[in-house]
Amino acid sequence: MSWLPFAADTATQVHLTSQTRIVAAVIAIFFMLLILDLIRRDRLQERYSVIWFVAGLGMLAGAAFPGLLEFLADLMGVRDTNVALFSIVLLLLLGLALNFSVLMSRQAAQITRLAQERAIEKARQQALEERTGNGAPNERERTNS
Amino acid sequence: MRTLVFIPAWNEEASLAAVIADVREQLPLAEILVVDDGSTDATSERGREQGVLVATLPFNQGLGAALQTGYLYALREGYDFCAHLDADGQHPPAEVRRLLAEVEADRADLVIGSRYRDPDAPAESDDYRPTFSRRIGTGVFRFFLTLATRQRFTDTTSGMRAANRRVMALFSEHYSPDFAEIESLQLAVREGLRVEEVPVRMLERAGGSSFLTPLRSAFFIFKGVVVLLVGQFRPRRQAEADR
Repeated sequence: MSWLPFAADTATQVHLTSQTRIVAAVIAIFFMLLILDLIRRDRLQERYSVIWFVAGLGMLAGAAFPGLLEFLADLMGVRDTNVALFSIVLLLLLGLALNFSVLMSRQAAQITRLAQERAIEKARQQALEERTGNGAPNERERTNS
Repeated sequence: MRTLVFIPAWNEEASLAAVIADVREQLPLAEILVVDDGSTDATSERGREQGVLVATLPFNQGLGAALQTGYLYALREGYDFCAHLDADGQHPPAEVRRLLAEVEADRADLVIGSRYRDPDAPAESDDYRPTFSRRIGTGVFRFFLTLATRQRFTDTTSGMRAANRRVMALFSEHYSPDFAEIESLQLAVREGLRVEEVPVRMLERAGGSSFLTPLRSAFFIFKGVVVLLVGQFRPRRQAEADR
């Protein structure tokens, strides 16, 4: 395949060093511990933690089985496994950020509706007070004095 | 037959009382609701002093959310018709009466007051003179909205409208907080509602200048076009319900 100038040449492929793998594994473990701790202290809701936990496990798997990453790098046509790793992580982060934007939009809509419901309820209360007769203004006067 | 006139207001304590008095005079049978969009001044107090209903949003949510509050209130409280106008005194309530007459006669579901479709234009064109950037924006929106709805619209951003219960039901569920005026027109037409424009006379803003600088205008226009484009691909809701 050497006649294809842009094809990945197996001879010059760059692999992860064992040092990188150890660092990655340590970071992954600390990351997962941090998430567990956040859940434990009620700082992170379980339903939002799953995705982070999966990310941590993925990191650990990548460090433990470097063949996995090399396979993915080959699939992407990237010669340097480190570059493949960066690209995958970047894509995952992009997905997460989008996921958060969707969540945020939903919450913004919910907050708006909540504000509207409260405003309407107040106006309705005001209308009701005015409708229940002329006694209401007098009563208000009495409580003021 | 009950009619609600609602006035979205954000920090409009200076002009609100006059507008309310004017609406009362022109539409004595209508009930008035001020939707205070989280004002930091005495807008709500001015409204209550005038003896009208006030719906106060706890924080500023934008014009779209304020208008939707009005539609939601009208729908829930069983009003037959509703109309809204700006709180800054640009919209003469006498013209609102003409819009309401159209929906009351069941000639349309939603009626827009257009400042550009003036039959007596030569005589009254001095009343409203748009700035250059506004003219560009108006032209762009007009073009794209007409393209999207296949119906001719001249004043796409008009905040003076009258509506019946079909519109209340639609807008209280779906009303874009970001680009309320244009998207709501597109939505109403897509849902098969009869939307009509009526020429009205509008006045120059009483005080203060428009918030639009050239750069902001460009962004505003860009956003509007994107919103319209996306709106074309939204699923139709009424059609689904009918099936």
